[in-house]
Amino acid sequence: MKSRFSDAMTLAVVLAILLFILAPILVLLFSAFDGGNIFRFPPRTYSLRWFEAAFNHPEYRSSLWISTLLGVIATVIAVSLASLAAFGLVRGRPRYRFAVEVLLLAPLTLPLVVWAIALLSIYAELGMNGTLTGLILAHVTITLPFAARIMIATLNEIDPRLEAAAKSLGATPVQVLRRITLPLALPGLLSSSAIAFLVSFNDVVVTTLIAGAGWITFPVRTFSRLRTEGIDPTTIAIGAMIVAFTLLLILVGQRLFQLSRRF
Amino acid sequence: MKRIACYAAVAAVGLFPCLPASAQDFSGHTLTVGTWGGDIERLLREHVAGPLEAKTGAKVEFLLGGSGDRLSKMAAERNNPTMDVTFQNIYEAPLALKDGLVAAPDAAAVPNAADVWPGMNEGCYAMSLVGLGIAYSKSLFPEPPEWADLWQPEFKGMMAYAPYPSSEGDGMLAVAARVAGADEHNPDAAFAKLAELGAPKLTYSSLDEVLSLMDSGEIAAAPMISGYVISNLENYEGIGFVFPQDPGPVLVRDMVCQVANSPEPELAQMFIDLALSVETQAAYAKELNFGPTNSKVELSESEAANVINTPEEVASLLQMDWPYVIAQRSAWTDRWNKEIMGQ
Amino acid sequence: MNQIPDIKPHTTAMLVGPAAALMFGVFVLPFLFLLVLSFWSQVPGSLQFDTYLTVLNYARIFGDSYYLGGLWTTLWLSGLVTVICLLLAMPLARWIVLRAGPAKGLLIGLSILPLVCGALLPTLGLVNLLSPLGFINGALKSLGLIQSSLPLLGNITGVAIGLVQAFLPLMILPLITTMERLPQEYEKAAMSLGARRLVVWQRIILPLLLPGIVAGSLLVFCASLTAFVTPQVLGQGKVVTFASLAYQQAALVLDWPFASALAIVMLIFLGLAGMLGALVTRKFGKAS
Repeated sequence: MKSRFSDAMTLAVVLAILLFILAPILVLLFSAFDGGNIFRFPPRTYSLRWFEAAFNHPEYRSSLWISTLLGVIATVIAVSLASLAAFGLVRGRPRYRFAVEVLLLAPLTLPLVVWAIALLSIYAELGMNGTLTGLILAHVTITLPFAARIMIATLNEIDPRLEAAAKSLGATPVQVLRRITLPLALPGLLSSSAIAFLVSFNDVVVTTLIAGAGWITFPVRTFSRLRTEGIDPTTIAIGAMIVAFTLLLILVGQRLFQLSRRF
Repeated sequence: MKRIACYAAVAAVGLFPCLPASAQDFSGHTLTVGTWGGDIERLLREHVAGPLEAKTGAKVEFLLGGSGDRLSKMAAERNNPTMDVTFQNIYEAPLALKDGLVAAPDAAAVPNAADVWPGMNEGCYAMSLVGLGIAYSKSLFPEPPEWADLWQPEFKGMMAYAPYPSSEGDGMLAVAARVAGADEHNPDAAFAKLAELGAPKLTYSSLDEVLSLMDSGEIAAAPMISGYVISNLENYEGIGFVFPQDPGPVLVRDMVCQVANSPEPELAQMFIDLALSVETQAAYAKELNFGPTNSKVELSESEAANVINTPEEVASLLQMDWPYVIAQRSAWTDRWNKEIMGQ
Repeated sequence: MNQIPDIKPHTTAMLVGPAAALMFGVFVLPFLFLLVLSFWSQVPGSLQFDTYLTVLNYARIFGDSYYLGGLWTTLWLSGLVTVICLLLAMPLARWIVLRAGPAKGLLIGLSILPLVCGALLPTLGLVNLLSPLGFINGALKSLGLIQSSLPLLGNITGVAIGLVQAFLPLMILPLITTMERLPQEYEKAAMSLGARRLVVWQRIILPLLLPGIVAGSLLVFCASLTAFVTPQVLGQGKVVTFASLAYQQAALVLDWPFASALAIVMLIFLGLAGMLGALVTRKFGKAS
């Protein structure tokens, strides 16, 4: 009896926390269907006009594509580098472990605008300003700390004796990696990829200063009119679609994952 | 390599200044233009970039952001610029020219610059004229207010300001100084007077924030730049906008600049020339309520109502000593933070 | 646990090398530039630097309670946000891992949504909910719980709410990741042996979750420390934070030397806080 009560309490707490996280996003979803010209909640009239506008706006489409592409490239590089480094630090336990851990976290402690201005000055001296390489390097640098931190935590949790046991049973290093380490590290890899991608996808400050004209991302486009004109309701509709798409992706991904396990 | 090409281009311009633009083929070239996103980008695409691309075969790309971002960018990459043309504020243009970041206005290379009202191409080419007026809540001000009306005690602490430093903030200081019987060269008077309005209820980072709170009467008024506010009035029935008389609205200009030593100086000049043309300037006025700087633009009475477009109107505006204000920027920011925000 | 490294030193160096090299080139070099810059000064009314070395920028920060106050507020606010995130994320992550069953993926997805659409849109949504005439005050008033609106915007409360909402995913994901690896049998075994819940938590669960807690806390703390949009919008410009000060100086005043000095001073504070934390942990560790 007591445990059922505490179960119900736990559930209530969990739902309350979820509601808190999601409330602003619910506002966003509602406002996307507003028929008016401005961001308003609750909406006064409902319409799909901003969704239509989103699909008829080639600039938004191309900037969403650029954001996605940049996010994927930055994530792949950042998560790979972070995983390798985390593996080295956790398994190798070098004397310089603490120093490198601090170095891998450090970019999170500077205000991005100050760092981006300094980076742009250096890029300009090297002739790298406005290039895609420079932009990707900058995005990898702001996403790597997130991935590194999560991968260090993940690998810390994996008992090295599992790997040692597999090795002593005659597994090659590649087999150990494929059969033992990677599956155990998978949740960490997924988490760090998700966070790295989202940090890159949503960055405004660094991209505004570092990106060349051919690489205007979706958030940069959104913010470039914020002070002068205010928010474009089209952006809200796009935000709502991104939310829906993310959830769909997770559901489909989970289903595929379960299917792949069954066979 | 890039630099050599750039010098070559500069030399070519020097040698053949009168060469008609249409005679040249710029296909394969890319012109980079830094500007604000939204309607400005759309209008520039329609009226400037499109025709330029058709005429020269070059490609025009827009680099979006705020004007502060662009000034930072120009300064950081001063030895190796990537932008060719950039849109800046009235106070940023002379600063950029003084520091050698932009090329001085040149009516020989940009013919339409000669049609700009005299004396306005300060630092860069004058693109549009807007004024700092009062956006106000109609429920609190049945009649359009004068500047002095904002100092009524019941509105204390009910203002909204843009983040400082900005042309809105400096403009409001200039107004406060004049309400106190001085001008911006007397910062003590300006800050003391402005402090009487109380700490602002809101420092806004987007137009929506201030307009929705003003619509519901939580914010009484805000010094705001004409143009977008006027275009937004139809969305908010509870908000009005007025150009006060005493002193007049503070003149604010958008400027278009040719970046110094940029990769495509000739295309940049052609772009600016098209931006200053009667056609583009008229579109700015009709669609955005931005006043034309080109003296040959003619507007109908209804179009001209919300727009600053005559020399008489310009003369009635409060013109600030921007170079002086810019030199005080750091000190005034400290004072703003403490005496206005932190009271 | 064995203390012998599992991989050879030069392999370790090769694994760590690429990430460290990238950080050195793209982060440390600009940082060194900032360090030098912070000892220069800006020529008034110009974008040029005066390269005469001076500690004027630092004197200005340490001589002014406004800047020190802003940095201090940001430090404790980030700490507060981290603690709240930990307290909220712990039950949520645990419930998702242990109880959610087939809904797990969906729930993880829902809990990271605040990161999905950037800082701006959810923050504007929060403004609507928290404003004096907004949903929360309206609901509380109609329930008769309050007479006049609670001030939830333009103060620390609003900023803290916004930061917790925005950065909770940074705590939830690492926690879920480490909890997945936590064998449930440990807990059950300890309970069946008659250990009290608190003891089980203290002795078994918390130590095993520690890497996740450390990762999540560091990420939330640092993200709050440098967050710009959320504090700016929810604080309505009235809450002075590290990021707003740095942005004002770097992007609006264009006094890069001073902005650099602000960033360096914050780093010094962080270093001191970290050393203090390490000292306390060591003492605490010895005592217990």
